[in-house]
Amino acid sequence: MITAVKNKFLVFLEQREGVVKKASISAWNRAQELAALRGNSVVSGVLAGPADTRQLEGIMAGDGVIYHAKEERLRFYSQEYYARLVEDILKREACTALFFADTVMSRELAPKLSVRLQASLLSGCPVLNSDEDGGCFRPVYSGSFLASFAAARHQQIYILPSRAPAPACFSGGEINVIDCEPQGFATDEVFPVVRQIVMHAGRPDVAEAGIIVAGGRGMGSAEGFVLLEQLASLLGGSVGASRAAVDEGWRPHAEQIGQTGKTVAPALYVACGISGAVQHLAGIGSAGIVVAINSDRHAPIFDVADYGLVGDVHIVLPKLLDLLKEFLKKQ
Amino acid sequence: MNIAVCVCQVPDTASVIGYVDGAMDCSRVNEVMNPYDEYALEEAVLFRERFQGTSVTVFSVASDSAKEVLRKALAMGADSAVLVSCREEVTDPMQTAQELSRAISGFYSGVLPDLVFCGKQSTDFQSAQVPSMLAEMLGMAFVYGVTSLNCSGDLLRIEREIEGGVEYIDVMCPAVLSAEKGLNTPRHTSIRAVMEARKKPFSILPFSLHEKPFVVMTGIEPVARKKKCCIVPDEKELIRILSQACNVL
Repeated sequence: MITAVKNKFLVFLEQREGVVKKASISAWNRAQELAALRGNSVVSGVLAGPADTRQLEGIMAGDGVIYHAKEERLRFYSQEYYARLVEDILKREACTALFFADTVMSRELAPKLSVRLQASLLSGCPVLNSDEDGGCFRPVYSGSFLASFAAARHQQIYILPSRAPAPACFSGGEINVIDCEPQGFATDEVFPVVRQIVMHAGRPDVAEAGIIVAGGRGMGSAEGFVLLEQLASLLGGSVGASRAAVDEGWRPHAEQIGQTGKTVAPALYVACGISGAVQHLAGIGSAGIVVAINSDRHAPIFDVADYGLVGDVHIVLPKLLDLLKEFLKKQ
Repeated sequence: MNIAVCVCQVPDTASVIGYVDGAMDCSRVNEVMNPYDEYALEEAVLFRERFQGTSVTVFSVASDSAKEVLRKALAMGADSAVLVSCREEVTDPMQTAQELSRAISGFYSGVLPDLVFCGKQSTDFQSAQVPSMLAEMLGMAFVYGVTSLNCSGDLLRIEREIEGGVEYIDVMCPAVLSAEKGLNTPRHTSIRAVMEARKKPFSILPFSLHEKPFVVMTGIEPVARKKKCCIVPDEKELIRILSQACNVL
C-alpha cells in the first residue's frame, strides 16, 4: 500500500572551505529521527557551494536526496544567495519544515527566511515534539525555566542547538546527491561581502567540542590556563572560559561559555576554578557529564556536577596531568 | 546620519524569578537593559560623537515598565526615545520585529535610517531572531554578531566571530547590525546626564499589531538542575572515573 508523504523536511547543510559542518550532519540525523517518529516523512538536504560530498557517506543517517549547488560563487557565504537557494529548493520540493544547526550563518538565514516564507521559527530547541503541531521545548531565563512553544504557521523553521551525546547514527540508508542550478542570481545587486576569513588553528571551536576543559577566576592568571591547555590536549578536547576569566583578559571571548558567551553541549565538561554562577550554568545545561574541580566545597558548581574534586586547581591539575600522562603511556 | 537602536528589558540575572501557582512570579525581579543592547547603544553613541549631525533614537516594544530602560538609554547619549507600549511582554519575535519595523518606518517618515543597531539576542529568551527579521522587513542588509566596526563613507568594515575563526565583512549602509560582546565598553551614566535625559523627546506609540503570532509560548515551568555530586578523594580516582564512567581515555 502506498501512503502519501505527510512531512517533507529540508536540512541546510553548511560548508566552510568545502567541508560540511558536523553540526549540520547532526541536524540531518535529528531530522531523520523526527521523520522516523512521525512516519510518512522524507528528508532532503541543500548544500550551497563546492564541497566533496563523498565525505558524507556513512555518517549521514537514513535515506534522502541532497541538492548540491556547486557553483563557484557560492564557495563563500553570501547571505542573500544562500537564502534564495534554500527558498528555491524549499518551494520546489514543497517542504513543510526546514532545519538548521545553530551557527552564525543560520542565525542570519533562518529569521530572514521565516519572514519571506511567513513560517514559524523555533530556535534553540533541544527537544522537538514528535506530534504534528510542530512545537518544541527549550530552556529560557538562564536555564532556570523550561518553556513549551507551539508553531502557529503551517510551515516551520528550526534552529537546533548542539546536544550531548551525539545522536546515534543509524546506517544503511541511501543518500543521493543531485546537482542543482541556483535561480535568480543578478550581478548588479549589492550585498554584504565576506572579504576574508581567518580560522583559528588547532583545536575545534568550544561550541563544537565533544570534551571541554574550562577555567574560571580560580585559575588566577592567563598563565594558569597553560595547565588547562595541556589537560585539553591530553583529553582531545578544547579550552573554554568563564566570563570572569574573559573579563580579566586571560582568554578570548570566543572561548567564553555562559549567558553572554556560548552555549555548549559536550559529552564531558571539566570545570576548573569555576564557582558556577547562574550565568555560567546557563551555557552548560545540555552538557553530558560535568566534573568540577574547586577549592570551595560549597561552590554552586558542585550542585550541577556529577563528579567533584575539592582542592586548589594549582595543586590538583599538575598532579592530574602527571598521572594522566603515566596512564596514557601504559595504554 | 540617522541611527536607530532597538533595546529591550530583561530580568537582572542576579534576581530570582519565582514560580507560584503554575505561573512565573516576577515581583522580586529587577529589570535592566539587555546587556547586548548596551553594546549596540554604545556603538551608536560613539558614531554620534565621531560624525557631526548624527541623531540617535532608541526604540523598544515593551510594557510601560521599560520606560526606565529607555531613560537610561537617553542618559547614555541617545537623542530621543520611542516606546511601543503593550500590556504584556511580547514573546513572539516576529511580532516584536513587525512593531519595531512599523515604529522605525513611521519615525523616519518612510526613509530608511542609515544604521540600525540591535543586541545580538536578549539574555532571557535568547532567540536571536528580531534583528534579522527586522532587516528583512525594512529591506536593509544585515550582519549578525559584530565585534568590530569601522565606517568610511557608506562602507562598513566589520569583524565578527564565527565558529572557529573570524570573518571580515564589507557592507554598505543602510544596514542593520547586531552587537556581540567585545564591540565596545558601554559607558556609565552620570547624575547630570540622567537629569538632562528628562528633557529629551520621549514618545509612546500604541501597540498596533493585527497579525497573529507565529510562535506561541504555551507553558513554562521551573527546572530542577541539582545533581547528586559524587566527591572523589583524589586525582587517581578522577582518572579512573574519566576512563571508566566517562569513557574518554
